[in-house]
Amino acid sequence: MNLIELYIGEVTRRLPEKSREDIALELRSTIEDMLPDDYTVHDVKEVLAKLGNPAILASGYKERPMHLIGPRFYDLYIDLLKLILPIAVLVSLIAVLITSIFTADGGGVLAETITAIVGNAISASVNAAIQVFFWLTVVFAIIERADHSTAQTPLTSKYQEWTPDDLKETIHIPKEKRITKYQIAGSLIWTAIWSVFYFNADSWVGVYRNGELITPTFDQEVLVSYWLLVALVIVLEIVLSVFKWREGQWTVKLAVLNAAVQAISTIVFVIIFTDATLFNNRFLTEVNTIFDADLNMNWAVGSVLVLVIVFALVDIVQGFQKARIQEAKRSI
Amino acid sequence: MDNSLLNSLSTELRRGTLTLAVLSQLQTPQYGYSLVQLLESSGISIEQSTLYPLLRRLEKQELVTSSWDTTENRPRKYYVLSDYGTEIFEKLKEEWEKTSRELYTLLKGAETDESD
Repeated sequence: MNLIELYIGEVTRRLPEKSREDIALELRSTIEDMLPDDYTVHDVKEVLAKLGNPAILASGYKERPMHLIGPRFYDLYIDLLKLILPIAVLVSLIAVLITSIFTADGGGVLAETITAIVGNAISASVNAAIQVFFWLTVVFAIIERADHSTAQTPLTSKYQEWTPDDLKETIHIPKEKRITKYQIAGSLIWTAIWSVFYFNADSWVGVYRNGELITPTFDQEVLVSYWLLVALVIVLEIVLSVFKWREGQWTVKLAVLNAAVQAISTIVFVIIFTDATLFNNRFLTEVNTIFDADLNMNWAVGSVLVLVIVFALVDIVQGFQKARIQEAKRSI
Repeated sequence: MDNSLLNSLSTELRRGTLTLAVLSQLQTPQYGYSLVQLLESSGISIEQSTLYPLLRRLEKQELVTSSWDTTENRPRKYYVLSDYGTEIFEKLKEEWEKTSRELYTLLKGAETDESD
């Protein structure tokens, strides 16, 4: 007999407290109805097999769905996930960038520091992504259970049902005009790397012999005296990245901002590199002994500057070109 | 032929008609097992794990009312159509008749097409 009670227990333990007693009573009477007068254990098993898996029976009684996120919210959930994930990753990348600038102590080995920044960036992004995924899923699982409307139609991102007017808001951006999140992440990581280099140039950049730095290239005091300008460039690059991310595509406004940022950072670069006291005297002697010649540093610096300016100009022009690409014309 | 696909399709086909079948038998009060027997005698087999929860759902939707009868040797919960349930049942019945007529015409048409 106890098989029956066990079965009923298996069903009711999955049900809300208040409905347990009634369902147990009804189940018991039903099971007894199904059994012959003098029943054996075998009969009981047969009847219980007919009623099936207690979990399935219980889920039939339950009002709550047996899925985490149903069709009504699934599309909205995926859309939000796609929207929020990149923001979270971007924000955590910016955070990594800022902390690497302020915490890099220059004592470490070059390769290790780069690995550390890239590693931090990856782990921070993964962490942010997991957090977003988890919390968004939790929120939607709760909404799914709190929503008692009988409607089944999926909701759009406006939390409304779909109408043809929604089509107006789907925009098609040509591929060349689009700015991907990877590009933005890449430029942020690049900013992080060069700024760490800037603040630690004396321990990483210079002449190496047997894997040991013997003479730094720059006079760190002179180099760091420009820190205000460099900080300005860092801030501008972050602003540019955020703006790029917000626009998602090349626009004239973005091209103008890009031009301004490129111009300013190039000017800062030129100002720093035309400083006659920038290079370490010992470095200059060292270079001359290595190449066994009296190299003209001005000439080398000059070509680097020309290269930097050319790159900046190309970038500025490309920005405007991409901004001019028209949206593909569509007929209704 | 893929039998599991056929099974799932025909289960899907039958699922919508279950509520109608159950409502049709609740014009007189029935308890769970008597309802199963009634349905089975008309050839409609229904998973018991579907039927009992369905009855409670119908009660919650106020289509049926229930009462415990304790006069017999074991207590039984009887379900019967409410006024609202009767109204809904009539409409559903019409809907079903209309659908089956339409489907019949469709299927008949398909058959003549084949024989052409």
